[in-house]
Amino acid sequence: MHKLLSNRRTIFALVAPGLFLFLFMVCFPIMMSAYYGMTDWRGIGSYQFVGLDNYMKILFNDPVFWRSLMNALLLLAATLLLQHPIALLFSILVTNAGRFEKLFRTIFFIPAVISIVVTSKMWVSVFHPNYGVLNKFLTAVGLESWKQDWLGDPSIAIWCVIFVIMWQGFGYALLLYYAGLQGIPKDLYEAAELDGAGRVKLYTKVVIPLLTPMVRVAVVIAVTACLKQMETIFLMTNGGPINTTQFIGNYLYKTAFTSSLYGYGNAISVIFVIVCLIITVIMNRAFKKDVGEF
Amino acid sequence: MVRKITLHTLLWIVALLQLFPLIWLINYSFLKSGDFFGSSILKWPEKLEWSNYINAFTYGSVPKFLWNSAFITTAAILVAAVLSLMLSYAFTRMEWRLRGVTMAFIMLGMIVPIHATLLPNFILFNWLDLLDNPLSLILPYIAFSLPISMLIISGFLVTIPKSIEESAVMDGCSVYGVIFRIILPMTKPALATACIMNFISWWNEFIMANTFLTSEKFKTLPFSIMKFAGQYSSNYGAQFAVMTMIALPTVIIYLMFTEQMSRGITAGAVKG
Repeated sequence: MHKLLSNRRTIFALVAPGLFLFLFMVCFPIMMSAYYGMTDWRGIGSYQFVGLDNYMKILFNDPVFWRSLMNALLLLAATLLLQHPIALLFSILVTNAGRFEKLFRTIFFIPAVISIVVTSKMWVSVFHPNYGVLNKFLTAVGLESWKQDWLGDPSIAIWCVIFVIMWQGFGYALLLYYAGLQGIPKDLYEAAELDGAGRVKLYTKVVIPLLTPMVRVAVVIAVTACLKQMETIFLMTNGGPINTTQFIGNYLYKTAFTSSLYGYGNAISVIFVIVCLIITVIMNRAFKKDVGEF
Repeated sequence: MVRKITLHTLLWIVALLQLFPLIWLINYSFLKSGDFFGSSILKWPEKLEWSNYINAFTYGSVPKFLWNSAFITTAAILVAAVLSLMLSYAFTRMEWRLRGVTMAFIMLGMIVPIHATLLPNFILFNWLDLLDNPLSLILPYIAFSLPISMLIISGFLVTIPKSIEESAVMDGCSVYGVIFRIILPMTKPALATACIMNFISWWNEFIMANTFLTSEKFKTLPFSIMKFAGQYSSNYGAQFAVMTMIALPTVIIYLMFTEQMSRGITAGAVKG
């Protein structure tokens, strides 16, 4: 058996197809980006080698890039301060919903499986200044002065977009916390009840501390998801008005395909990958120290 | 009692907020185009306008896009499942020196944003003459499916006792025979979970489709609504019908396999 399992040809045959495809479609392109990022290519014609100029410009002299990073941070803050607490609360409510438990859990996740093309288009219609449901609703309840050009106003658009992203990801966050709650042994609840702990105390003192490992997982996922945000932006605002809703993924796309700054767009791509890697490493370091157990 | 009522009211309010788009979508897909500009949020259709669906099918080349989507997604998830199974077996059962490093390397794929590969892959596919070819989607879809699928499948593989494989080998079965005749049927639940999760991702994927497919020949379904919105901008009814058709397959698959999906997501999250 050992001889069979350490046969090099077999190992090669099993690993090579997947590994090769992965190198070819994920790693090689990033190296290509690193190269084109050092040129001033505009997508067609000849180009010149400009060294690290593009990279330096992105890091030190590109307000839109930093705006995109700040938007990711803003989205992250909103996710962690609003979406996650609400998702945690509702995951607790769902576990207490008796025979409707499964139904609610299923319903809450539905937006996450619907195509972003569809949900974005829907929310664009909801926010439409003239025909949108939101403004119609405000008129109907007599709050006409609250009506806005939701996605056209530079100071409001980012919040609308953040709301939509949080709405779509709500079921995902809820599912993670729900799974965490399922992992807590039932007798712990009973023991706490025997000790005379009330419901609020039961959750704040016993259940939520036990959920810490899952909270960490959810935070790590939220950080990368916020950084990688693109599709909703692309479809709802394309980064506008005046780049106030820009995110890195959309910015590099627009730079390359709309502004034809292909070399510069590739440099953004490379920095994007590096930022994602660095943040993941930092978070793994920070969270690995103490892994809680039930 | 009061607590129970409050609990259920709260849950229903949020459930409605989450379900609203689906209701709204289906509702509007049955309205006449003239009905869209009234003041009400939802509108009871006087008569179900099936013609919206018929229009979508005849003008929007929806059947072609539907077929493209189905073909590209199916090809990607099936190949990804086989490759991930082979990789998982090599990583959990085979004995070789670089396996830890190689596995960690492929796992990096979960961190790399797909958007960072859009620009270079556009050039790469241009060189290889693969632009506007289904392969320009199938290949990256498979590559980006590998990390998560491997995680799910190898997590399941380590729980299967090795004794079955050992006796099969005694009977003269090769490693490939072990993988495809013995392990494959046993890992079906994990394979199904991986396939369902990949199905939802790639059925909904549109940014690569929008970038690498330049003519209409192979465009996938999510694209059709963008095309539709431009060309038939006044035919709202048909637009909503197309959107409903894009949304329903994933919702139905999700409702059929809720448990597998939930397990896959939490497994991927905890181990990733």
